[in-house]
Amino acid sequence: MFELSEEHRMLKDLVAKFIDQELIPLERSAIAREARGEAVGLPPEEEGPLLEKCKELGLWALDVPEELGGANLPNVALMAMNEELGRTCVPFTFPPDSPNLHMLMAVANEDQKRRYLAPYAAGETKSAIAISEPGAGGDPAGMLTRAVRDGDDWVINGRKIWISRVSSADFLIVMARTGEGKRADGVTAFLVDRGTPGLIVEREIKMLGGQRTYELVFDNCRVPASQMLGKEGKGFAPMQLRLTVRRLQMGAWCTGMAVRALDMLCEHATQRVTFGQRLADRQAIQWWITDAATRIHACRLMVMDAAAKQDKGMDVRTEASMIKVFATEMAADVIDHAMQAFGAMGVTKELPLQIMAAKVRAMRVYEGPSEVHRATIARRIIDARK
Amino acid sequence: MKILVPVKRVVDYNVKVRVKSDGTGVETAGVKMSMNPFDEIGVEEAVRLKEKGVATEIIAVSLGVAACAETIRTALAMGADRGILVESDADLQPLAVAKLLKAIADKEQPGLIILGKQAIDDDMSATGQMLAALLGWSQGTFASELTVDGGNLTVKREVDGGMETIVLTLPSIVTTDLRLNEPRYASLPNIMKARKKPIETVKPEELGVDVTPRLTVVSVAEPPKRQAGVKVGSVAELVAKLKTEAKVI
Ligand SMILES: Cc1cc2nc3c(=O)[nH]c(=O)nc-3n(C[C@H](O)[C@H](O)[C@H](O)COP(=O)(O)OP(=O)(O)OC[C@H]3O[C@@H](n4cnc5c(N)ncnc54)[C@H](O)[C@@H]3O)c2cc1C
Repeated sequence: MFELSEEHRMLKDLVAKFIDQELIPLERSAIAREARGEAVGLPPEEEGPLLEKCKELGLWALDVPEELGGANLPNVALMAMNEELGRTCVPFTFPPDSPNLHMLMAVANEDQKRRYLAPYAAGETKSAIAISEPGAGGDPAGMLTRAVRDGDDWVINGRKIWISRVSSADFLIVMARTGEGKRADGVTAFLVDRGTPGLIVEREIKMLGGQRTYELVFDNCRVPASQMLGKEGKGFAPMQLRLTVRRLQMGAWCTGMAVRALDMLCEHATQRVTFGQRLADRQAIQWWITDAATRIHACRLMVMDAAAKQDKGMDVRTEASMIKVFATEMAADVIDHAMQAFGAMGVTKELPLQIMAAKVRAMRVYEGPSEVHRATIARRIIDARK
Repeated sequence: MKILVPVKRVVDYNVKVRVKSDGTGVETAGVKMSMNPFDEIGVEEAVRLKEKGVATEIIAVSLGVAACAETIRTALAMGADRGILVESDADLQPLAVAKLLKAIADKEQPGLIILGKQAIDDDMSATGQMLAALLGWSQGTFASELTVDGGNLTVKREVDGGMETIVLTLPSIVTTDLRLNEPRYASLPNIMKARKKPIETVKPEELGVDVTPRLTVVSVAEPPKRQAGVKVGSVAELVAKLKTEAKVI
C-alpha cells in the first residue's frame, strides 16, 4: 500500500486549501482572458498577491536544499502537492520552477551558484530553457545552433523555437553545439541573460489554451566563458535530468486535471436528466466514470512509485517516459469525456474544461511527444534482451 | 495562562455524508476526516491569545481512536504547543467527553477552555456546557468575540434576538461560533515544526472515567428526499396555489 506520511498529507492538504481558496477564484478571469484571445497566464496584479501568500505559507523553494533556504522536500511530497496544482486551469507553480533548478544544482560552478542558483532558488529570478529548434524538436540531438570559442568569449549563432517563459525570464539556459561531436555529443549549455546583445526575441507564438511560446534568434550573441554551464560538450545529460524532473511533475499535474474533470463529470451526471433519466444512470456515462477513476488511480501510483524511487536515488528515466505517455493520454480522455457529458456547455469557452483540454493537448507534444517516448521505452526493453 | 483546546476528528465538511446501510450511523470508512471546523476556530482563537501575550501555553486535546493524533497534529501545526490524546475505541458521548476533559483540566489547571459550539457530525452542542457544569466554571457559549482583561473575560454571544455581551470571571469555558475568527492555514514551516511537538497518550481508565454510553442510537436515516418544485406562470397563479393548495394564506 502506498501511503503518504502524516506530515506530507498535511502539506498536500495545505496546497489543496490554497488551490481552493486562492486559485480557483481566479479561474473566471483566466477563462475570460483566454476567450478574448489573450494569454491565460496571471497578470502581475493577480500574481503579486498570490506570491506574497505563498511566501507567507512557506509554499516556496519546496525542492531547494536547506543550505539555500529551501524546504528540501522529498519527491513523494512534491508530487502529492503538484497533483493539487493540476486541479485548476489557472497556470501557477510554486517558485522556483523545478527543472532548471535541478539542472543548475547538478552542474553550476561556485561562481554560477552564487550568481544564478542562489537568486533563482530564492524565487527572485525566473528562467527559460532553449533546446528546440525549427529542425530539431522531438529529436534535440539534431540541433544546429552553434557556439564558437573566441578568446575569452563564446559566440552563439542559431535559431530556437517554441521556448516558454521567455517574456518573464531573467536568464535562459541555451543548448548549443560546441564540438565536432555528432548528435548528443558536443552539446553545451550556456547561461544567457535577458538583454544580452545578439539575443533576439523574433516573435511570440500563440499556442492552444492561451499559452505562449517564443522564437529566438542568436545573432553573434557573445557571452563570457564564465557563462558556460557544466562541462564543454557534455550538456546533454544534465538537460535530460531536467526533463525527468518535469515529466514526473507532468504526471502529477495530469492526475490533478483528471481528478477535477471527473469531479465535474460526476457532479453534472447526477443532476442532468435526459429522456427521463439521470446521465449518472446511463451505462455509457458510468463506464467513463469507472475508467477515469481507475486510470487516475493507476496514474497516481505510477507517479508516486517513480517519486519514491527517485528519492532513493534510482534512475527513473523509463518510468518517467511511461508516466509522460500514460498521464497525458489519460487526462486527455477524462477531460474529453467530461466535456462530452456537459454537451454544448462542455464546448463553450466558459468552463475550465476547454483550457484543461488545450493544455493537456500541448502536453502530449512538449517534453517529448508520446510517440518518441513510446519508441524509447520499447528500445530499452528490446535492448535489455540482447 | 494555559488554554486547553479540545479538537474533535469528524468527517470533513466537504464530504457528503452517507448513512450506513444497516442504519446504525454514518459511513466513515474510507472517508476524509478533518478537525471539526468550530474547533479550528477555537485553536485559532487560542493562538491569537498567545500572540497577544494573554496565553502562555496551548494544549490541544483529542478524544477517540488513535487516528485522532492527526487532528492534534493539525492543531500543533496551527500553533498549539503540545497535545494530549485520550485514546479509546469506545463511542465517546458528550458526558463521557466532558468528564474526561474535566479530569485533564484538574491536572493541567488551564485558565480557559475553548471548545467548538458543536461538532458537525452529531450537532449535539452539549460538551462545553456539561464541562462548565462539572467544573463549576463560568461559561460563554456561541462566542463571536472574546477579550481577556485581567481576571475577566468578555464574551459577545450570538443569541436569537441579536448580540449579548457577558463578562465572566476566569477560569471559564468558551464555545466558538462561526464569526469568532477565520482560522489560519497551517504554514509549511509550522507543519514541519509540529512533528517535533509532544503528544501524550492516556487511556480513559487512567483518568478514572467510565465512558460507557448512556444514550442508545435507535436508528439513523437519510432525510426524506425533497420533491421537485413547480414553476408557476404568474403571480396570480402563485397566490392561488398558496391559498388553495398550500393553504398558507
Ligand atoms: C506549449 C509548448 C511549450 C514548449 N516549451 C519549450 C521550451 O520551453 N523549450 C524548448 O526547448 N522547447 C519547448 N517546446 C518544444 C517541444 O519540446 C517540442 O515541440 C517537442 O519536443 C516536439 O518537437 P517538434 O515540435 O519539432 O516536433 P517533431 O520532432 O517534428 O515531431 C513531430 C511529430 O512527429 C512524430 N515523431 C517524431 N519523432 C518520432 C519518432 N522517433 N517515432 C515516432 N514518431 C515520431 C510525433 O508524433 C511528433 O509529435 C515547447 C512546445 C510546446 C508545444
